[in-house]
Amino acid sequence: MKPAPFDYAAPAHLDEALAILARTENAKVIAGGQSLMPMLNFRLVRPDLLVDISRIAALRGITGRGRGMSISAMTSHHAVHTSPLVKEHFPIISEAMGHVAHLAIRNRGTIGGSISHADPAAEWPMLACLLDAKIHLAGPTGTRTLDAQAFFHGAMTTALAPDEVLTKVDLPALPRHTRHAFDEVALRTGDYAIVAAGVLLSVGGSPLTGGKRILDARIALTGVGEMPIRMRDAEALLKGQKAIDDQLIERVACLVRDGIQPSSDLRASADFRRELSFSLTKRLVKSAWEQRSQS
Amino acid sequence: MPEGRYVGAPIKRREDARLLTGESRFVDDIRIAGTKSVAFRRSDHAHARIVSINTDAAKQSPGVVGVFTAADIEGDARPIIASSRMANYQPTPMQILAKDKVRFVGEAVVAVVAENRYLAEDAAELVEIDYEPLAPVTDAEAAARPDSPLLHDGFASNVLVEREFKRGDVVEALWRPPVKVKARFRVHRKTPLALESRVCLAEFQAAKSHMTLYTSSQVPGIIKDALVKALDIPGSHFRVVAPDVGGGFGGKTSLYPEEALVCILARKIRGAVKWCSDRSEDLLATSQAFDEIVDAEMSVDEAGRILGVTAEVIGDVGAYSIYPWTAGIEPVQVISFLPGPYRIEHYHGRVRGVATCKPPMGPYRGVGRPVATFVMERLIDMAARKLGLDALQMRLTNIVQPHEFPYKTASGMRWDKAGFVECLKDAAEAIEYAALRETQAKAHAEGRMLGIGIATFAELTGIGSRLSASPGMPINTGTETAHLSMDATGGVTARFGVTCYGQGLETALAQVVADEMGMLIEDVRIIQGDTDAVGHGVGAFASRGAVMGAGAAMLACEALKEKLVKAASALLNAPEDEISVGQGALTTRDGESALTYSELAERYYSHMGAVPLEIKNALGELSVSRMYDPEWGTTSCATHIAVVEVEREACKIKVLQYVVSDDCGQMINPLIVDGQLHGGIAQGIGAALFEELAYDDDGQHLSASLVDYVVPSASDVPRMAMRHPELEKPENLGGIRGIGENGTIGAVAAIANAVSDALAPLGIEVTEVPTTPERLFRMLDASKKEMSNI
Repeated sequence: MKPAPFDYAAPAHLDEALAILARTENAKVIAGGQSLMPMLNFRLVRPDLLVDISRIAALRGITGRGRGMSISAMTSHHAVHTSPLVKEHFPIISEAMGHVAHLAIRNRGTIGGSISHADPAAEWPMLACLLDAKIHLAGPTGTRTLDAQAFFHGAMTTALAPDEVLTKVDLPALPRHTRHAFDEVALRTGDYAIVAAGVLLSVGGSPLTGGKRILDARIALTGVGEMPIRMRDAEALLKGQKAIDDQLIERVACLVRDGIQPSSDLRASADFRRELSFSLTKRLVKSAWEQRSQS
Repeated sequence: MPEGRYVGAPIKRREDARLLTGESRFVDDIRIAGTKSVAFRRSDHAHARIVSINTDAAKQSPGVVGVFTAADIEGDARPIIASSRMANYQPTPMQILAKDKVRFVGEAVVAVVAENRYLAEDAAELVEIDYEPLAPVTDAEAAARPDSPLLHDGFASNVLVEREFKRGDVVEALWRPPVKVKARFRVHRKTPLALESRVCLAEFQAAKSHMTLYTSSQVPGIIKDALVKALDIPGSHFRVVAPDVGGGFGGKTSLYPEEALVCILARKIRGAVKWCSDRSEDLLATSQAFDEIVDAEMSVDEAGRILGVTAEVIGDVGAYSIYPWTAGIEPVQVISFLPGPYRIEHYHGRVRGVATCKPPMGPYRGVGRPVATFVMERLIDMAARKLGLDALQMRLTNIVQPHEFPYKTASGMRWDKAGFVECLKDAAEAIEYAALRETQAKAHAEGRMLGIGIATFAELTGIGSRLSASPGMPINTGTETAHLSMDATGGVTARFGVTCYGQGLETALAQVVADEMGMLIEDVRIIQGDTDAVGHGVGAFASRGAVMGAGAAMLACEALKEKLVKAASALLNAPEDEISVGQGALTTRDGESALTYSELAERYYSHMGAVPLEIKNALGELSVSRMYDPEWGTTSCATHIAVVEVEREACKIKVLQYVVSDDCGQMINPLIVDGQLHGGIAQGIGAALFEELAYDDDGQHLSASLVDYVVPSASDVPRMAMRHPELEKPENLGGIRGIGENGTIGAVAAIANAVSDALAPLGIEVTEVPTTPERLFRMLDASKKEMSNI
């Protein structure tokens, strides 16, 4: 379990990294290495050159923009997990980070690495879709920005070109009074999810506009297909509702269960994943609705 | 001088300081200049004929010293065969490298020796092997049928071993009894998963014609005895060292092809050759555990008395019959131990060990007993439920009572007196059984699925030479050696054949020696894991280390003290019978003269003329060696009670409470005893809920990394309460009963019974383990569908 031979570069600046990638065939960017190192050791990935971006200071940090924020690629899961800013504006991220592997892995693993790797059961790609994140990519001819949904192409495949580096993830502000719920079912604490789901319900309105109602609803799941999935039909059913009852929740959960195409693997069958998606959705929609609204 | 005795005291383990600070020395820490590294090209076919092997490119790869196939080592070793007198047994010679045919995915075919492991793996990739695929033999039940493709050419069938035990008339007992329960039980394949995977390093010193094999093994004595014969090296010139060893659990009790191979290669290249298993190789090629199908039936009268039991076992023993234990080691002991601690007059157990395209089955912590206990304890709960009896009461009705010892079991084993009833009652009391049943009733009323599971069992430990795991095995597991020597400072060095691989034996044996000699424990050194330490040793397995090691130590201490009295007699000019030994000193009867051990040793060795030469010539060094053979074995027993809750949505099982009451005789060190139970129960929880080596129908291994082979993590293991009732001690030296396997033996059954108890309102009985979320989902789903059909 030793990697095939490779060269190694650790540039201090992004431009330098991009220049190396532009002139090298079969190079691979390494961030925290929490997924890539095992793949190298299993010889599943065989780059000629490893470009380590961990020394590029500009790729670290969390910046607030009003109630939105921007998280640079090399920011560790642990830094996100413990950030007061994240907790204030995106408490669902703080909650989800607790499910990302174990502390030692969270300490090295990064948001950019996780999103570029695009594991079909990972938390970050799902959060990116749920939060309508903008993914910033830098390449030899400049930068481009993609919506999260457009970034993920399939299991471990993304829009990221071999000569590009994911630099940061922008998270647009959530509407005021957004309630959230997140949970994950895994074999053990810290394992990849069998199924994980996140729910956001934004409640607003005034007596003048007909009273409070759900203005925005978002449901995303991971572990149930090649890539994270937003459940648009279920979201539409919730939007505009003034209240939620068990019957409505059941209908929402049915739409989720019937709207996914999970596959079977060693850990869980497709049927089990459907059932889990159904029960998780029911519980999380209810829990989000009953949550006291966040400012 | 120490206050009181060390034996029985919860003193901290002496080996922990080095293990916890990184100062321990495992095989991979040993540095010999010029050591070459081995990487294997292993089979990716389950069953195939090797048509051709091309190693040209690999030989040209940078840093390669040599590339070896079976043809290249032909004649370098005599056949290694796990022989046995068992009737209908078909032995399979060990394949050091696969010759002609591969029989499981992961079997070593080509060995590449290079300057380091990286270069060796680079070259191993370049080896080209042309295979002609053969029909995979993966399902043991199908493989046992006469029409199955054969794994070994020329064999009568794939059934390598077949045995049965009978008592009474089981047909009569099962004929129209009031209550019958039966099920097909399935226990999936598991791996021992020691923290340190297997590593071996052979150094051949050509000028001295001397071979040293450093290997991460529980049994350096067995390895040496086998390899001196296979490699034709005089025993005096072959040393096997098992330095610090990071766990074994039975996975390091067998001789492996890799151990033989590094010796062969070291001799070929006249140097040092090392193989360090990575985790995938560990999961692919270390001996495995369980994998049995048991069709069992029990008949019971209306009072809950067991009338008869039958069990038909199919054990998937993998491709080869493992050395020295044979393919019978695991499955045969399932039918030996199945009657358990119960009074069962009519019994018929039959077992077939069937060869398939998987790595060999070997001994794993508990050997047969975890599966036997799972089946028996499940049957009892199923019968109790059918009769409306309480699970505890059903056991109290059937368990062998104190006045019935010694009790001969239905399979022919003998239980000496042990606390069967006492442990059962004690565990129930500890967990407040009656109150717990009330709590459970309330939980059920609230819709919570809470379950209580009892498992009680008896185990045979510290087995002497009158019993054998496999009749006619090529080794003697009934004896162990202790060698004691006193140096010129009065310090004692004790050398043992039993090994320490993390289970705490080093500390436990120091406690025994210090007490027997009346010394400070700090002045006692323990040397283990080196065939140079004693003339003959075996190793530690089968819960024999404490029983055999302590017994041998006690005999040796007695003999050493006799020798010290003789020396003191000369030094103090007093008759031997007037000198007493105690508190680290020798004192004359009148109390006038005394010598501490250090005074005696210094004068005996270092003062010229202090002892008359004819006495010294006769007495020699202040050292002795003794062997201990406990003849039979000693019974240990325990009751485990687990409380679980089934989380319906996630289909997960949470272990809430765990209590054990264990009769292990005289405890040498209660901390170590409890630690052994904790670790064993964690492994049992693994077997009950998580761990499974998965192979597909083509024999491909689907769980060759720890992403796919799931073991319990710390948060999956509950706090446990351990109790050891004060009971009569067994009659062996020291009154010690083995404890090493009591955790795994009880835990699988206790958890499975608790899960079944939680699911009882749905009519679900667990018959297959591990009960993974997926299996639980399917059971709940089926029960839901059944309910809706009514």
